[in-house]
Amino acid sequence: MGLTTPDLSVNIGKIKMKNPVTVASGTFGSGQEMADFYDLGRLGAITVKGTSLEPWPGNDYPRTVETSSGMLNAIGLQNDGLDAFVNEKLPFLRQFDVPVIVNVVGQSVDEYARVSEVLGKTEGVHGLELNVSCPNVKKGCLAFGNSPEGIAEVVSAVRSVTDLTLITKLSPNVTDVVSIAKTAVEAGSDALSLINTLLGVAIDPWQKKFRLANITGGLSGPAIKPIALRMVWQVAQAVDVPIIGMGGIMNATDAVEFMLAGADAVAVGTGNFVNPMAAVEIIEGIQEYLMSTNVSDIKQIVGVVGK
Amino acid sequence: MKGIYNCEVIAQSEVSPGVIRSLLRCPEIACQAQPGQFVNVQVSATTTDPLLRRPFSVHAVYPSEGLFSLLYVLVGKGTAMMTKITSGENISVVGPLGRGFDLGNSPDAQHILVAGGCGAAPLHFLSDRLCALWGCKNVKVLVGSRSKDAVLCEAEFISHGVEVEVSTDDGTYGHHGLVTELLKRHLDSSLSTLHSPTRIYSCGPNAMMREVARIAHEAGVSSCQVSLENNMACGLGVCMGCVQKIKGAVPGDTSGTDWHRERVCKDGPVFNAEDIIWD
Repeated sequence: MGLTTPDLSVNIGKIKMKNPVTVASGTFGSGQEMADFYDLGRLGAITVKGTSLEPWPGNDYPRTVETSSGMLNAIGLQNDGLDAFVNEKLPFLRQFDVPVIVNVVGQSVDEYARVSEVLGKTEGVHGLELNVSCPNVKKGCLAFGNSPEGIAEVVSAVRSVTDLTLITKLSPNVTDVVSIAKTAVEAGSDALSLINTLLGVAIDPWQKKFRLANITGGLSGPAIKPIALRMVWQVAQAVDVPIIGMGGIMNATDAVEFMLAGADAVAVGTGNFVNPMAAVEIIEGIQEYLMSTNVSDIKQIVGVVGK
Repeated sequence: MKGIYNCEVIAQSEVSPGVIRSLLRCPEIACQAQPGQFVNVQVSATTTDPLLRRPFSVHAVYPSEGLFSLLYVLVGKGTAMMTKITSGENISVVGPLGRGFDLGNSPDAQHILVAGGCGAAPLHFLSDRLCALWGCKNVKVLVGSRSKDAVLCEAEFISHGVEVEVSTDDGTYGHHGLVTELLKRHLDSSLSTLHSPTRIYSCGPNAMMREVARIAHEAGVSSCQVSLENNMACGLGVCMGCVQKIKGAVPGDTSGTDWHRERVCKDGPVFNAEDIIWD
């Protein structure tokens, strides 16, 4: 087989991605800050920051702490609200040839549904990622995501108000991620993304106090990659919908590992902070991997390990 | 425009105990950086611990040589690894980042720079630019530090023709006490006799800048800017980690809250002191 350019395209529900790489919500803003570095149209999709109905102020400072090969964050989903996103952020994103996935957050089932209904009727939004897994807010999110009943309620409510592709973002902070995943699919989720951050704390031994104002935060970065890989592999065995894998992906090798474990696409999160070019370098690296291993279509490697 | 650059380390030297000056080659940053802006440095490309880049304010630029310098304090694992980088090695630098100082538009303005500790680093770059713009006779620098051997940049400020006053906490050099006492004394003696606007620029510990802001407000100076330093993850404005409480409600907020949070890395690090809610 010659060195022909492999087909990198994948489909996540009705979302057609030219390559399997998107960015993790909350690590890319709404794209404007990152557009200085490269053409956002090179990405397979852009997943923007969590959006709520009204503006959320987020948590007190300090909100981030670096840990060994990772970081804890307790941002608390600070965002300017749905109207600001639709009127001020989305017009910028529409100029790029890239699907936009909006991460939806809420303090109630009704809020998830209302935000999703508006976005479902908004030009330039191609998919919704239901954030039922953020560990850093007191109401909503993980309160829904850590039980099958909560997941089912949110997904069903959103499913009833929009035809957009629904991606449910799962938490690793649960006992049985597989049963949660199955519930999300049964309730109408077209795809799954996993994992969100792992709940953790950091302590300052000299001040003898917690480092985050919120005390607890979500751990991300290379430190969580083995856990994320395990969960992607487990869930891929159990459901028949596309999976977007994430958790410590820093380079193309990491991304390929997730796809071999069963992810149809991947998201780069904390890696964007370390290297703003990470996502596009990963796209190039995946292509080189496929060419060097004589694979003509990216879909051929999905779930190869573990079958 | 900001970018990612592979910068050659020209030299690193210890200018005082635990304080390092790095000279880097990067024509783009040297030409584009403005006083108060910073760069995000990857201290090691071969390890994920530490994982995140380290932000350093720009200390000086030499555009004709394509060089710029950083001045940093050895505080932890990241800066310790930074000191190990030898001349000729390349490091990845993102920058220039953030919003720098507003230098004003009045040729008659008096500019007072108040530095605490390593806060002298960005103010050194600022003083150079102010001198080039308005002349050094209108620029005065107040440098505060713990003790004599920790005073930073005094000789550099003086060599550029800027008037400098120093304070030390332990009285081993200059005024025995806080740099804010120097500021108060200076404003008390000059504001009654000067009719030109006074502009204050400050960088240092938060408690010091809060006091600078209070003194400036009470004296009625026309502008007081402070350069903040918070924990940063991305340095780009996407993670919302390094936020500061700012007066005024965010547009669209109907909750009645009269403040909002802005990003130090993107909306700052330089803010108008009057806008800040000091915790």
